[in-house]
Amino acid sequence: MNQPRILIFACKWCGFIGADAAGKKRTSLPSQFRIIPVECASLVETDAILRALAGGIDGIAVLGCHIGGCRYNNANHTAIKRLELLQDLLDTTGIGRSRLLLSFGTAHEDYQFEEIIKNFFDELILLPPLDPWLSPFGVIS
Amino acid sequence: MANISVFLCKCFGEIDNTVDFDFLRKELSKNPSIVLISTVDSLCLETDIEKTVSRIKESNSEKVLIAACSILSRGNLVVESLIKEGIERHKIGLVDIREGCAWIHGDDPAGVTKKAKDLINIGIAALQHKELSDDMSVTVHPNALIIGAGPAGLAAAISLAKTRFKVNILERSKAPGGMLRLISRCYPGNEDASNKLEPYIREVENNPLITFYPQSKIASIEGDTGNFTVHFSSQEKDSSIKSGVIIIATGAKIFFPTGLYGYGEIKNVITQMEFERQILNGSLETKKPVFIQCVGARDKKRPYCSTICCPISLKNASRIAEDVPGASVFILHRGIMTPGNTLEKYYRDTLASGVQFIRFEEEHPPRIIGSDHVESVEVYDAITGITRKIETDLVVLSTPLVPNNDNAQLAKMMDIEVDRYGFFSEIYPMHPLETKTDGIFICGSARWPVSSDNSILQGKAAAMKAVSYLRQSKITASTLSRVPGLKAGHARVVTESCTGCGNCVAACPFNACHLEKMEGRYISVVNMMKCKACGSCVSVCPNGSVQIPEHNYRMVGEMIKMAF
Repeated sequence: MNQPRILIFACKWCGFIGADAAGKKRTSLPSQFRIIPVECASLVETDAILRALAGGIDGIAVLGCHIGGCRYNNANHTAIKRLELLQDLLDTTGIGRSRLLLSFGTAHEDYQFEEIIKNFFDELILLPPLDPWLSPFGVIS
Repeated sequence: MANISVFLCKCFGEIDNTVDFDFLRKELSKNPSIVLISTVDSLCLETDIEKTVSRIKESNSEKVLIAACSILSRGNLVVESLIKEGIERHKIGLVDIREGCAWIHGDDPAGVTKKAKDLINIGIAALQHKELSDDMSVTVHPNALIIGAGPAGLAAAISLAKTRFKVNILERSKAPGGMLRLISRCYPGNEDASNKLEPYIREVENNPLITFYPQSKIASIEGDTGNFTVHFSSQEKDSSIKSGVIIIATGAKIFFPTGLYGYGEIKNVITQMEFERQILNGSLETKKPVFIQCVGARDKKRPYCSTICCPISLKNASRIAEDVPGASVFILHRGIMTPGNTLEKYYRDTLASGVQFIRFEEEHPPRIIGSDHVESVEVYDAITGITRKIETDLVVLSTPLVPNNDNAQLAKMMDIEVDRYGFFSEIYPMHPLETKTDGIFICGSARWPVSSDNSILQGKAAAMKAVSYLRQSKITASTLSRVPGLKAGHARVVTESCTGCGNCVAACPFNACHLEKMEGRYISVVNMMKCKACGSCVSVCPNGSVQIPEHNYRMVGEMIKMAF
């Protein structure tokens, strides 16, 4: 059975550090995830997530800092609001909110990152694979 | 597409034992923009760095991609040493194939090589589309402005003058000294407040680097880090000062507990500040005082602890107990707050001096008995459960410090924030005394109620933080980073397509965006001194007009394409 494919947008100050710590500990993790480090979770555009889903990536995770712990003066608050709206949008389009994992302040330790990724894989494996949409990048780029 | 040279680090077997480097080389050589693929034993060794640099210079590549360990382990070292050798920062890409790949997928040989290939492709896509942000610098006015001449402000001024910077102090009242002028002794050393204040005032009067503006009122503050202009009036005369940094030491206000415990109606119910005044003018006559703690503090309206009222009560109670023969002194409290080694000793000394402590609960506050003159206080002892009646001739209410009324107004002028009570708020948790705007610092009770000792400490600390700005002749915007290293970049607005909707203005957590009228329409303008490259504006822009060049739209799209 094919492993689901996950793209992670990790805030450089929390999620990325957690992922790095998991790496240092040599935790065994499924290989089908890729991390794109970002300055702050608020830099993750909704279109980037939609592009990724359209390109056939099964799940997107956005990992940020905990509420009140943002290095950019609570920029992650707006990110949460916006991305939760996107989850609603994904529900109405039938893609489902479970394909977008939002986790703030829960991935800055190695074991937390490990747990989040493994659980997300377990969730996604139950869902049907997302087929790449024809001409997904034609409109914008 | 720029030519790229790729360096694969083996890390002495840590990476190439799990990742199939032959397959990687074969896959990467298909990419026409890669002109050099080189495998190195360990890039972080000095000899290998030299070799790498000479190879980069020999090949006709413009950009370098390093596939090695994470930037948090030794990757940063490699990047920094390449920069030292003259390669520009934005032309170097680092891909983590050790922590993020080889070490965690060792049990999946096919998956790990595929992941390494994808990660390198993501890195190449990022490197190809990465752009460089604009930067700007501001000439620093080598003088400081201090608002408030209390202990914190005076300490800051003198520390700055010692480092040979000019200091201007604006003070609301006629004379410097702040709240220290209203009290007789300071805890925990029990020294005279006037003695403590005297050297500071002498220094302010005599030091030619310090200018004191009494009775001043701030009208407006404009400008950015390193270049603030403050318009104010002092003694009815309007003037303005240019200043590199601003230190806010406005202190706090005394809370008058009108309506609580009959304050204002019953004679002999006074506050700690009135008690201090009576000591100062020698009119205090009491043998049986009762101090009541937490009046108007630690309740629903003001849930904070003002931190200074318990030590003040200890100071005044022990003074009466020691100085007045036959005195009986009571402190009615809801838990004595004396953190630290000096204050805890102060509490024990007060206990030894014969002061009696009774703990009451918030639900059963003490009752004052007496119609126009206090006769006794009835209190329910929370520990024994007995209601006690204490004969008294004076009730002293310990009230908290509350923020000044004009804090919010002042904060708006300087584009900083106040907390939910109205005190100036600093950047939590790793930047004490710093505010949202770089170059503006807070200290003393303007930040949170503190003792005079701590005010002086914070004033000195704020001065030292200010010096780090003042000693630069020019401040470059990209160095104003809150995080280790330089900023990631600055947001850039494409003026042709910006519609002036104002989404970015609303979303920016640093108020760096504002709308300006240009050629008959509004467009967004980014103030680079304030922008911290968080990207909040990027993700709310409806047509992608605002971008961070180091993390632009096209680059993210290409990275996602290459992800699997």
